[in-house]
Amino acid sequence: MALPVLVVDDSPMARKMLIKALPPGWDIEISQAGNGIEALEQYRAGKAAVMFLDLTMPDMDGYEVLAQLRKEDLNTFVIVVSADIQPEAQERVRKLGAIAFVKKPVSADKLVPILKEFGIYE
Amino acid sequence: MSNLQLTDDQREALQEVTNIGMGQAGAALAALLDTFVTLSVPRIQLVQVAELGKSLRAMVRDAQDVTAVRQSFQSDISGEAIVIYGPEGCKELWDLMGYEPSDEPPGTSTERELLFDVANVLVGACVCSVFELLGRSLSFSRPTLIGEKVPLDYLLQQETLPWGMALLVEVNFSLENRQFTAHLVTLMAEDSIEQMKAALDHFVANL
Repeated sequence: MALPVLVVDDSPMARKMLIKALPPGWDIEISQAGNGIEALEQYRAGKAAVMFLDLTMPDMDGYEVLAQLRKEDLNTFVIVVSADIQPEAQERVRKLGAIAFVKKPVSADKLVPILKEFGIYE
Repeated sequence: MSNLQLTDDQREALQEVTNIGMGQAGAALAALLDTFVTLSVPRIQLVQVAELGKSLRAMVRDAQDVTAVRQSFQSDISGEAIVIYGPEGCKELWDLMGYEPSDEPPGTSTERELLFDVANVLVGACVCSVFELLGRSLSFSRPTLIGEKVPLDYLLQQETLPWGMALLVEVNFSLENRQFTAHLVTLMAEDSIEQMKAALDHFVANL
């Protein structure tokens, strides 16, 4: 069965860039969200076994999404994909339960080792 | 007349590559100032140079008292990047570096060094990474001061004459409970704007 993957970013161009960087041949069903509120709705609807999450967004940013996911059951692998690359941002999102932090622009080279490490992609 | 406006796709692509550039500028600035920097989404605007004064006056709060640093850049797309600080911007930077207002009078070499460093970081990270994503590597001149506490109009008269279009990027950084605002203006001639648009099209087509 295809793995539900959610791509969260306020920029449609950034979502396209991320989707292009996903490894080829990965059996997934991609959904998209343009802000944190939509992301949580899609997560609750079972569309996010894996979530690629931007940090800087209007209407609920990535930090708030992570905090809210934690209050629920955090039944998803969250990979933060961010232009904000300060070490403190990386530390904050890991404390909030993200499995990884990837700097924009993303590439398959950056994603594949992470996905393999967590057994999400063979 | 050629159409120099951006299409929706070009604008979105430019916005996203600018966001990525600002992220790098933010990280470099955080390292320079030793604090956590909160980034806001930069506002970008492409305007005719004739309209630049109007657009800038709408963004810069005190247009009678600005300080500006410029750096030119070169590849097949070339132009000039100008960082404009309002009077608050200069004061805030001074304060962020831990200096007291009384430490040194304005206009001293320490203050200039600081303005140059920050301009260098902003231009280097932002302009450079934007053009890198568009497949260009740029060379830059050293930063030079083009005006210190002068009216904006004076600055524009000096700088904008040879250029056709300006790409305006409003950069807002907040640092914990303090704000720092600077404006980055990229001036390009029409043929460079055309090249940039073609590069953006190429970028979008490859997504």
